[in-house]
Amino acid sequence: MFEELLEDVAQKNGLREVNTNLKLAAGLGAILLCLLSTSYVPPLFIALVLTSAILLLARIDMKTYAGLFIVPLWFAVMSIAGIILISGGHDLFWRWDILPSFSLSITRESINQGVFVFCRVLGGMSALCFISLTTPMTDIFTVFRQCRIPEIIIELMMIIYRTIFILMDQVVQIYTAQVMRLGYSTIKESIQSCASLCGAAFIASWDAGEDLVKAMDARCYNGKFAVLGENRPVERKPLLALAAFLSLSAAMVVLSRNITII
Amino acid sequence: MSSIILEAREIRYRYPRGMEAVCGISFHIRKKEKIALVGPNGAGKSTLLMMFNGMIRPDSGFVLFDNEPIRYDTASLRMLRKRVGFVLQNPDRQIIAPTVYQDVAFGPTNLGYSEKEVKKVVTLALRHVGLEGFERRPPHQLSGGEKKRVAIAGVLAMDPDVLVLDEPTSGLDPSGSEDIMELLDELNHEGKTIIISTHNVELAYPWADRAILMLEGTILEEGIPEKAFGNPEYVRRAHLSLPTLLELHGELQKRGFCLQGKNPLTVLDMMQGIEIMFEKRYSCSRPGAITIYNVDRHGPESFSAWHSEQPVISIGAMGTRAKQRAENERIQLDFTYGVIDKCILKALLGEDSLIVTTENMVDRVYRRVDAYVKESGIPVIVKMMDGGSG
Repeated sequence: MFEELLEDVAQKNGLREVNTNLKLAAGLGAILLCLLSTSYVPPLFIALVLTSAILLLARIDMKTYAGLFIVPLWFAVMSIAGIILISGGHDLFWRWDILPSFSLSITRESINQGVFVFCRVLGGMSALCFISLTTPMTDIFTVFRQCRIPEIIIELMMIIYRTIFILMDQVVQIYTAQVMRLGYSTIKESIQSCASLCGAAFIASWDAGEDLVKAMDARCYNGKFAVLGENRPVERKPLLALAAFLSLSAAMVVLSRNITII
Repeated sequence: MSSIILEAREIRYRYPRGMEAVCGISFHIRKKEKIALVGPNGAGKSTLLMMFNGMIRPDSGFVLFDNEPIRYDTASLRMLRKRVGFVLQNPDRQIIAPTVYQDVAFGPTNLGYSEKEVKKVVTLALRHVGLEGFERRPPHQLSGGEKKRVAIAGVLAMDPDVLVLDEPTSGLDPSGSEDIMELLDELNHEGKTIIISTHNVELAYPWADRAILMLEGTILEEGIPEKAFGNPEYVRRAHLSLPTLLELHGELQKRGFCLQGKNPLTVLDMMQGIEIMFEKRYSCSRPGAITIYNVDRHGPESFSAWHSEQPVISIGAMGTRAKQRAENERIQLDFTYGVIDKCILKALLGEDSLIVTTENMVDRVYRRVDAYVKESGIPVIVKMMDGGSG
């Protein structure tokens, strides 16, 4: 039930020491280019580059990455099947009239559209994975502050971040205790156990909240949350790599405007 | 004797709708003392500790800090909490921020330090507890002992005069507990008053200057550890166990072996008593020498050169930073707790030993050994690694 958290993977990845802004620029830039592109080629290129960056540079192991990718990929395959079958077009390959007013068809346009959407999903997904696997939340807080996001929101985020792990810990403990006493052996039992787990988690979070206030008071809380650690310096090599990646992708977006798969 | 820093006068406290947790307690704590508050669960130890930094206000009676009654307005409380640092039992409850650096920086930031100052005190505090390089780690990835250290660093960063720790060794393995106790010793050596609550009699007995035995909201016994733990009746009533050394001492006395001098605090004291009693010394021609490896002065090269000349030797490390250095240099440590005593014991067997330590602890080794030499008349030699002897 409780696999290794993404956050833990990110804390140990090979690109941890690279400036956060650069990594975010790579991820967000890639998403933007995927959206701007009108052809399937640039998103595919972006997906390939970022995936190899995740696997080779950040040294995330294949299994973790595949596990992360497989669920959304499954959704994508299902919806693309839908797109190909119902979006219609002129250049007909195959057609089946199920009902008088409804038919399924595969056309040149629908295949182009399907492949295009699928590649976009791949590109976007790998960009998101790139961000979440290389940039731990703790580093993103620093960037938020640079972006002038109001202090109060950042502080709330930081407290929530910290509390999630404490709560998670407690939930795991309660869950284990329940499983050990056969809490989830039947459906009825499962419902009951799950309900009591939720109840206990609620009480635990309430307690944690009270303790948090006490702990902050005991350390002279005066409305200020701690300063953040510094961002890593921007180094030449990653900067050049980022520039090359983004400009190459952008060039591709422009050049491949009209390229379709068939 | 130094002046009184904390004092309680007839304090009482009752939890809302609960039983009375503290029933009319009076005592005082002097500057630079190490106090252990011991007692069973529910004796009111934690409640009492929370009064020292104003987290709980007694229903009646006074708590005095620096001879002034504590005032409970926000500004005074802030000042008090800066000077009386409190470390909670559960570090998860104490650690607030998402990274180690931010958490340790929490107190100083709220005290209004500039970013540069904050950085300085945080680095210093982390160095103190031996967690350099942990700045960017999130607390949920740390081990229990490391979390405890982060919690202590968070309080240290505010540079308090008094450190209050609720059950500092609970949930830690024996060596982790010893490390924490030694860290507290180190901090005390730097002039901080330290108050802990604990169940761990064996650790508290040799550590504390004074122990306070609590039961059901009252003080059962108060005094030097030999006295506080010396009464088997009280110890039994407080659901504790007699320290092994005291028990052994008592049993020996019952059988007519009258050990000279004070009650033994350490194995070394015990050995000395026994040897005097039997008028017999372990027959070695000359006691071994204790060498000090001061990591602030000597580099790893001088150690390896020295070590290659005497490959078989017991090595102990004293102080958090020294232990870290020893680990970095892959020095196999034989002792990490009560190091000086253990090295003297080795010396009495005619064996040489080495103490890895830091600049500020060197004189402590000299003082302890000198005191022993004066008491026993056995000339144990202490020397620095570069040859100068003391």
